[in-house]
Amino acid sequence: MTNRLAWIATLVTGLFMVAQYFIKTDATNAVYTTLLDYYQIVFAVSMIVGGIGLLKQHSLKVQRSSQRRGYSLITIAAILFMVIAAVIFGTGATSPYQWAFNNLQAPMQATTFSLLAFFVASAAYRGFRIKSAPAFVLALAAVIVLVGKSGFGEMVSQQLPAIAGWVLNNPSTAAKRGILIGVGIGSVATALRVILGIERSYR
Amino acid sequence: MSRLLSTFSARHLVFLVVLLAATVPLLLNIRLTHTASDETKRFYANIDSLPSGSVVLMSFDFEASAFAEIKPLAEAVLRHCFRQNLRVIGLSLFAEGTALGEQTLSRIAGEKGKVYGTDYVYLGFRPQYTSAILAIGESLPKEFPTDYFGAATAAMPALSGITNYDQIATVISITDGGMPTYWVDYAVTRYHARLQTVLTATMATSFYPYVSSGQIRGLIAGLKGAAEYELLLNESGGGGRGLLAQSVSQIAILAIIIVGNVVGYLSGRRKWQ
Repeated sequence: MTNRLAWIATLVTGLFMVAQYFIKTDATNAVYTTLLDYYQIVFAVSMIVGGIGLLKQHSLKVQRSSQRRGYSLITIAAILFMVIAAVIFGTGATSPYQWAFNNLQAPMQATTFSLLAFFVASAAYRGFRIKSAPAFVLALAAVIVLVGKSGFGEMVSQQLPAIAGWVLNNPSTAAKRGILIGVGIGSVATALRVILGIERSYR
Repeated sequence: MSRLLSTFSARHLVFLVVLLAATVPLLLNIRLTHTASDETKRFYANIDSLPSGSVVLMSFDFEASAFAEIKPLAEAVLRHCFRQNLRVIGLSLFAEGTALGEQTLSRIAGEKGKVYGTDYVYLGFRPQYTSAILAIGESLPKEFPTDYFGAATAAMPALSGITNYDQIATVISITDGGMPTYWVDYAVTRYHARLQTVLTATMATSFYPYVSSGQIRGLIAGLKGAAEYELLLNESGGGGRGLLAQSVSQIAILAIIIVGNVVGYLSGRRKWQ
């Protein structure tokens, strides 16, 4: 019964959202804007549910005294600190919440992201081997774009940035557009499967 | 020391080369001579052609991890907007971008002597970006009755006369991910918003199809884009400083690929044949 109700809600909402795109009246607009409000509310609540789930998961890990309980303790402490600091002191420019964000979270994320440069270089060294004609074309395109789009491109040749632009705007865009069209058709197919109840991930 | 050297592999050498390529140029005060590309010129012209008082909706849709690359771009575009006396409305559809967006907007506005509420306003974060983008298309005042600081937006001169995308001269999504896709899908397609985007270099390729179709009217990306924009603005900033480091790193990676091929060929000649 619950499944059937969920499917009916999905069907009605899905069909309404399709219809209101083409039929614009005061009544459909009112329902549409209300649905948008609820969408945001549901999402915001789901973030709370997610936070609680994360806390429960790490609490269990601490209780089970696993080898990695230290990481879980830090995670729990960080979540609680940010929530409590925001509730008590707010999120203003001089608040502890903002201090922790600027001085802990942002540098840690930047550090982790910076490591990508090293791994990309290492992967390029080991993986970018020219063993066939397609691999040669790939490497040639990479060299043209890498040098042409770098600050040295114009020093090498005045035409190189334009050639790099041509590679990006023509072969690369054509391939990307094909992928996007495929993704678009796939999204419509998936949406129809959900609306018609063929795909029921909520079951 | 000898033990350390004995464990030193090609991988470590690659790491060392990248580290030196990324850091040493930052210590040198060298500015690469370059000209602005057509795509940067187009973005600049789009902002430059807006009449004084026009409204720019700037969405800070990025995470803290990409801030080092995004910051010079965001600052250059904001400087241009304020120099043109445009009204800037800031917001964020990423929780992490909220504080960084506010800090960047406030700093550049302060630098240009702009007044909060009159010349610019920061609306803060909205969860669920698709519904937030759609909701702005229906009614921006209804979606944002208060700003980031909790003040009522109704009486703010910066927001006067703005109902939806029709009154917004351009929307600029500053992002390190796929957010422009959502802006195209929901703001451009449905509400005919005029979208431009500011991206990290790695994301640029993903959005050229939208630029060529006209759905994105302007695109600038990476430190090179920032350096080019600063050149057009005739102002110095983080783009010019970082361009050498990024360019040297790119050439270093290219050299690593060539060395990798030579080593691979020499060490496994039989296998390759």
